[in-house]
Amino acid sequence: MRTLPLSAAVAALLLVVTGCSSASSPDGSGTPDPDATVTVGLVLEPSDLDIRTTAGIALDQVLIDNVYQGLVGRTQDNEIRDVLAASHTVSDDGLTYTFTLHDGVTFHDGAAMTADDVVWSLSQVKDDASLANHADLAAVSTITAPAADTVVLTLSRPDSSLLFDLTGRAGLVLQQSATNDLSTTANGTGPFELTSWRQGDNLQLGRFDDYWGTPAKVAGVTFRYVTDPSAAINASISGDVDVQTAVDATLSSQLDGVDGITLEKGRTTDKYTLAFNNAVAPFTDAKVRKALRLAIDNDALIAAVGGSAVDQGGPIPELDPGYEDLTSVDAYDPDEAKSLLAEAGHDGDLSLTLEYPNVYPTAIGDVLTTQLKAVGVTLTVQQVDFSTWLDDVYVNKDFELSMVNHAETHDFSNWANPDYYWGYDSAPVQQLYAESIAATDPQVADEKLAEAAKIVSDDAPAEWLYTATTLTAIHDGVTGFPTSSTTTRLDLADLATTE
Amino acid sequence: MTRFVVGRLLLFVGGLAVASVLIFATLRLLPGDVAQAIAGTTGSPEQVAALRQQLGLDRPVVVQYLDWAGGLVRLDLGESLVTGTPVIDEVLDKLAVTLPLAALSLVFGLLIGIPLGVTSALRRGRASGVVLGTGAQLLAAVPVVWAGMLLIGVFAVTLRLLPTQGFPADGWSEPGRALRSLVLPALTIGIVEGAVLLRFTRSAALGALDQDYVRTAAANGMTRSRALVKHGLPNVMLSVVSILGLQVAGLIVSAVVIEQLFTLPGLGRMLVTDVGRRDLTKVQGELMTLTTLVLFIGLVIDLVHRRLDPRLREGDR
Repeated sequence: MRTLPLSAAVAALLLVVTGCSSASSPDGSGTPDPDATVTVGLVLEPSDLDIRTTAGIALDQVLIDNVYQGLVGRTQDNEIRDVLAASHTVSDDGLTYTFTLHDGVTFHDGAAMTADDVVWSLSQVKDDASLANHADLAAVSTITAPAADTVVLTLSRPDSSLLFDLTGRAGLVLQQSATNDLSTTANGTGPFELTSWRQGDNLQLGRFDDYWGTPAKVAGVTFRYVTDPSAAINASISGDVDVQTAVDATLSSQLDGVDGITLEKGRTTDKYTLAFNNAVAPFTDAKVRKALRLAIDNDALIAAVGGSAVDQGGPIPELDPGYEDLTSVDAYDPDEAKSLLAEAGHDGDLSLTLEYPNVYPTAIGDVLTTQLKAVGVTLTVQQVDFSTWLDDVYVNKDFELSMVNHAETHDFSNWANPDYYWGYDSAPVQQLYAESIAATDPQVADEKLAEAAKIVSDDAPAEWLYTATTLTAIHDGVTGFPTSSTTTRLDLADLATTE
Repeated sequence: MTRFVVGRLLLFVGGLAVASVLIFATLRLLPGDVAQAIAGTTGSPEQVAALRQQLGLDRPVVVQYLDWAGGLVRLDLGESLVTGTPVIDEVLDKLAVTLPLAALSLVFGLLIGIPLGVTSALRRGRASGVVLGTGAQLLAAVPVVWAGMLLIGVFAVTLRLLPTQGFPADGWSEPGRALRSLVLPALTIGIVEGAVLLRFTRSAALGALDQDYVRTAAANGMTRSRALVKHGLPNVMLSVVSILGLQVAGLIVSAVVIEQLFTLPGLGRMLVTDVGRRDLTKVQGELMTLTTLVLFIGLVIDLVHRRLDPRLREGDR
């Protein structure tokens, strides 16, 4: 081994390290830069881009609104808004939905969007049971285009959730004649085109120049998938990403006092739900279920996960219809918990197992173990990977306690479904839910949901640990980035950045 | 020599065959399947059943294995169960990150381990030698993740010399940028590997220092360090090469961990994700690639070692 080539190699490496300057980031003031590309750090990467078959909000998050659009969409506060429909009307009997389409909408491949594309897209989901969200259109009997700019849906029965369901995948408009591979490409009508996807690393969008609405204010967006929470914080501090979503609250103090970064709080429908297996003992006994709810101190739990959450006393979170504050139902009372357990015949001898996916904080299992121990319940925690959880809990219902984040919005129907994994079967709740769906007056629909939610909370089929508050770290100069409901939607139409 | 090479090649092929059975069988023990993972919590049982049939997961396990193993012989790793893209394409794409990372780590490891190992042997008994020896002992015990976090803290977050994580979105189209993003992760692995190499080089060099030929060279007027470098180093390097095979296997395992920490789109990170999704065809392809790499490097090192060391060839004559 000789000395000269060695030192040359070291020198070359040093050059690589110090010679290249780091990428510039927006400096916080000045005029919007239409040529800029904004880098956004996300956590969960979609496994596949097929919006028709691949489940999961990771796909909705990046593609819906930005690349694919529906007749209607939703704001970050879950209000319904018209998108490809210029307007819509619902008949008084709730059986006819009429959508008037926007003029001049084109797909990314240049073809004009027609009413036939809309009819075909919706019919595809309605007619094919193997497609995602097929059940959302169960009440729809016909989908027609009586005029070039009009699409009419007729229903066999009123469905108060239909319009909101149409803001999801069931309402997306794809091109009938397109032959692109949905798994890796996308041909939508949104302000951004999908330009590339490097699986395992990043997904890039570029502005669609022939967009029918107000054009995007940035040239492109690069989504980077950073799963490690501290890597995400570091990427934010060093400027590797301009925006980081879903910042880990326990680490967020590292961003305090960092110049040029603002930490925004936003509301979500992320419901961290500790479900009991209601179909098996000891959970068939309401006293045991209630005792477990009473034993859990939600405030202490929220503090342990970094404080970025709010107490949720029932199945419906604040952003969803039918919400009312139910936090007083079975609120923390360990003494009451102990006496209920004693009445149920479990005097310090109850041992339970909690199975939950390892993507969620370990602190949850730790805190629950401590809190339940205080009322004489021994908890064994098993953290497994998500596919194992799906198999054990969701499919085979082989569990005692389970914890997952039910992030979907408007998902109260799970409590009215006796076949769902937690096995909660309540006739009054199912009845009220059916009445809510059948209601033609939105206010009545919400009242029925609220009534049902109260019964669910009183029945204690689960403990709602908390609704997460999401933290987004945004660099100075970046504006128009949504901060609420970011796990399910990320509408970047207003995103801008200064030079 | 020919008999040795043929025997070694047969061992290589046999190793691959055994590995393919083990990999296939072990993965079948995992709970859950890809069809359910695709359909998630919103999919209906009908959707899952349709997917399972479409993906061929309802066929007997033996048929699935023979189908896959038959493809391997033709260098066809099959298609991803999730995206339908050819696994070989994905694997090659990720190797473009993992292999340079491993190579750069090895360079760092050798640059750190060998000069310092020789120095520490020469300074045996002196303060600087003791510091080097103890330092290496400590570093070799450091988990690679911890070393990585420390380096990120210093070089990326505080000094901002290097990116904290990630790889250029357009890959190697700008080689300088791509290389920059590999420096910290490679240094992380290199330091820990280098510490192991240092200790090994040190003991091999200490052995060489006690040899007659070094003593004779010193008696002829050479300094001890010069005698060691000129006459002892070939023997030291032989010993280092012999453990390099093991080190490279360790290096690849470290790369899997480090890719997670630095969010590098390499084979290791893809492997972790695909296991989570139960994309078994892809996981099999990735594991077979890694196994082939490790076995192949072992084979090459054995052959090189035999070529370099005349003592090993004695038996052939």
